[in-house]
Amino acid sequence: MLTKSAAKAFFLGGTALCAVAFLLLTLDTLAELPKRSHVEDMTDQVVRGHVIWNKNNCMGCHTLMGEGAYYAPELTKVVERRGEPWMDTFLQDPEAFYPGRRKMIKYDIFDNEAVGAEVAAGNRADVIAFFKWVGNIDTNGFPAKPDLVPVGVASNVDPRIMARAPVYFQTVCAGCHSVGGKGGNVGPSLDGVSARFDADYLRKWVSDPQAVKPGTTMPTLGLKGENLDEIVEYLGSL
Amino acid sequence: MRYKTQKIAYWFFAACMLLFTLQIIYGFIMGFARMGYDGLHEIIPFNTARAVHTNLLVVWMLSGFMGAAYYIIPEESERELWMPKLAVIQLVSLLLVGVTAVIGYHFNYWEGRKFLEIPRELDYLVVINVLTFLLVIFMTIWKGKRKTTTAMVLFFGLLAAALLYLPGMITFKNIVFDSFFRWWVVHLWVEGVWELIMGAMLSFLLIKLTGIDREVIEKWLYVIVGFTFLSGILGTGHHYYYTGAPGYWLMVGGVFSALEPLAFLGMAMYALSMAKKGGRKHPNRIALMWTLGCAVMSFVGAGFLGFAHTLPGVNIWTHGTLVTAMHGHLAFWGAYAMIILAMISYVLPEMTGRSLYKSWMAEWAFWTTNIGMIGMTGAFGVMGIAQVYMERKAGMDFLEVQESLEVHAVGLVLAACLMTAGVILFIRNFIAYGLPVDPTETGGSSGAAGSAAGAFASSKKS
Ligand code: HEC
Ligand code: HEC
Ligand code: HEM
Ligand code: HEM
Ligand SMILES: [Fe+2]
Repeated sequence: MLTKSAAKAFFLGGTALCAVAFLLLTLDTLAELPKRSHVEDMTDQVVRGHVIWNKNNCMGCHTLMGEGAYYAPELTKVVERRGEPWMDTFLQDPEAFYPGRRKMIKYDIFDNEAVGAEVAAGNRADVIAFFKWVGNIDTNGFPAKPDLVPVGVASNVDPRIMARAPVYFQTVCAGCHSVGGKGGNVGPSLDGVSARFDADYLRKWVSDPQAVKPGTTMPTLGLKGENLDEIVEYLGSL
Repeated sequence: MRYKTQKIAYWFFAACMLLFTLQIIYGFIMGFARMGYDGLHEIIPFNTARAVHTNLLVVWMLSGFMGAAYYIIPEESERELWMPKLAVIQLVSLLLVGVTAVIGYHFNYWEGRKFLEIPRELDYLVVINVLTFLLVIFMTIWKGKRKTTTAMVLFFGLLAAALLYLPGMITFKNIVFDSFFRWWVVHLWVEGVWELIMGAMLSFLLIKLTGIDREVIEKWLYVIVGFTFLSGILGTGHHYYYTGAPGYWLMVGGVFSALEPLAFLGMAMYALSMAKKGGRKHPNRIALMWTLGCAVMSFVGAGFLGFAHTLPGVNIWTHGTLVTAMHGHLAFWGAYAMIILAMISYVLPEMTGRSLYKSWMAEWAFWTTNIGMIGMTGAFGVMGIAQVYMERKAGMDFLEVQESLEVHAVGLVLAACLMTAGVILFIRNFIAYGLPVDPTETGGSSGAAGSAAGAFASSKKS
């Protein structure tokens, strides 16, 4: 029969053994982590982005590398998924992209009017750099690619229409508008938009929607010059 | 109750009741947000509600553990508490720090580190507070007449919990390091040293309630906490699978964390068999219900539901989804909330000298809280599994999936109402007992409860 002192020895011995093994593995892990997280790419900008992430407790709604809360999207691969221009626009006014849906906080630090365009743009660039760096950490394959292929893809989709769009359109406008069956559904589909509006109107609309239709929910994106020409030309081809 | 200073515990338990109530209120705010009613978003956004909810949880549990220690240690050491005034100061300062932190969360004063949101300045105050507590406990044991295994396991559990708080206070620029050491606090607490505290409380309650020989109970206590550390320390690896740490953690964490349920299974078998052998003669049946309930529900919530997502092949899909919330709720409830409520149920008649053993409120509180909690676990489970399949496995859009789950959040909130009704009954019963009184010469507190329990204790020679 097991005695009390044998039980005590089992407890102390087992604990000591496991604690030593854990400490050894920890030492090895600490040596590996810099490589696996690419510290060489951890610029000051990335560190500033981390501070913003930390100070505002973004982890209280989002997960990053699967850690945090389950109320908002997992962000490990957000740059890969959304692209930088989209994120830059999104952070200025999160609700504009998801009107009437689950809310993110509209942070003053990202808002041009609240803290000045330069500071706000800098803050946004910092968090985006942070997410970009996190996206390259070796996470042993997390998040996994979906492995159940959805059945019944819509038949009227022509991905080529989106593929020939300017990059800015694909990353920002497509967050809200679809063409050829691809893209978001916040704004109306832009298929055949050239038949509805002429180029002048489209140019005015895209550069300052508020001026054309005060109170519209389409954000003012501040497009100018060549970028604007490119977009208007593309819209004219739809 | 034999010593005057044990009365201090009452105020720690009263603090538990207060903070628990607040925790639940913030739980409801999140429950409603998940149903789509986020009217409080501008004042109390989800991240504030969440930080308050989980931090109040941790603070009331620490308050419960401290209260338990202030009750158990004098009894085990057979002397009054050393410097009871310090214990009072310590309670007040614990509440002040906790409340300051929670208010700060409403004003963006925090750190974005899940469960460790308390800002660094307040961390130092927590450390001082806990050191004071440990000093009182240590000196009482040191000067006491005997040093029992139960008291030692409890003390070392509390000491280790304090030490393990420190790695969580190191600042790292690199988030991967930060997360690595955050788990030294969070995981090594709930799946390590807190189990020691829980085991010691369980063994104290079993000794008191079943009258089984202390030597037998304490022998099995060693075996159980032995299993806890054997599996739990290296089991930390289940948080290192996908957070930047090397691949060998998949193997190490997978194997050892898969063994963790054994400690909880052991706890359940131990409690049930001791109660059976002891014949359940103690008049405080409610306390025994909570004690055995705790042993069983901790196995279900921590052991069974923990195992359900601990293997790396499963965890890669469930990591950071509502499946985790499902497990988190039942594990915290079964293991730590229930052991504290068991302790309170045992202690109240002892302290106040009133024997409200047959109170319908106490009995209903047990069943409604537990059924409500199981319902909440079910609702989280349905949401979690649906989320895993729709978002993670089929690649659907996050928000679309969440919106389709809002109907299950209604189920969550309904179950939460049931559980809240139980909590209200428990607190009503707590208040009905009135304030603690000094013990009489004969050993137990004055009144029927004291003498009935006293007679039981002397007949069983605990
Ligand atoms: C109150 C909860 C909450 C907080 C706090 C929060 N977010 Fe969000 N976030 C959301 C929600 C909900 C979404 C989903 C879209 C929406 O409604 O805006 C989102 C979406 C995002 C997205 C786009 C993700 C995608 O794939 O579409 C990014 C990037 C983001 N948040 C960054 C942040 C950063 C950076 C912080 C901290 C400064 C932060 N969030 C704090 C709730 C929150
Ligand atoms: C945050 C979401 C959002 C983004 C980003 C966005 N739009 Fe819009 N857009 C809308 C909404 C909403 C409307 C409908 C506005 C209304 O009717 O008031 C709209 C309307 C339009 C229209 C008029 C379509 C019609 O049939 O009435 C055009 C053209 C258009 N957007 C082009 C663009 C282009 C080009 C871009 C990228 C440079 C862009 N939008 C980016 C939300 C967005
Ligand atoms: C009383 C004991 C326990 C408590 C209170 C508890 C609580 C929790 C909590 C709150 C989390 C969420 C942590 C976070 O993401 O920040 C968590 C995660 C986890 N727990 Fe437990 N747990 C306990 C025991 C166990 C056991 C015994 C196992 C395994 C058999 C286990 C397996 C896991 C796993 C795998 C995760 C990670 C989930 C993810 O990847 O998102 N837990 N636990
Ligand atoms: C009674 C009503 C309650 C409601 C409505 C509720 C609801 C919630 C919600 C919505 C979350 C956030 C999940 C997310 O990130 O989306 C949460 C987190 C949490 N709650 Fe509760 N809760 C309640 C009671 C409790 C109780 C009694 C306990 C402890 C015993 C508890 C422990 C926790 C823990 C540990 C977490 C963090 C979980 C994790 O990170 O995985 N809650 N709760
Ligand atoms: Fe764990």
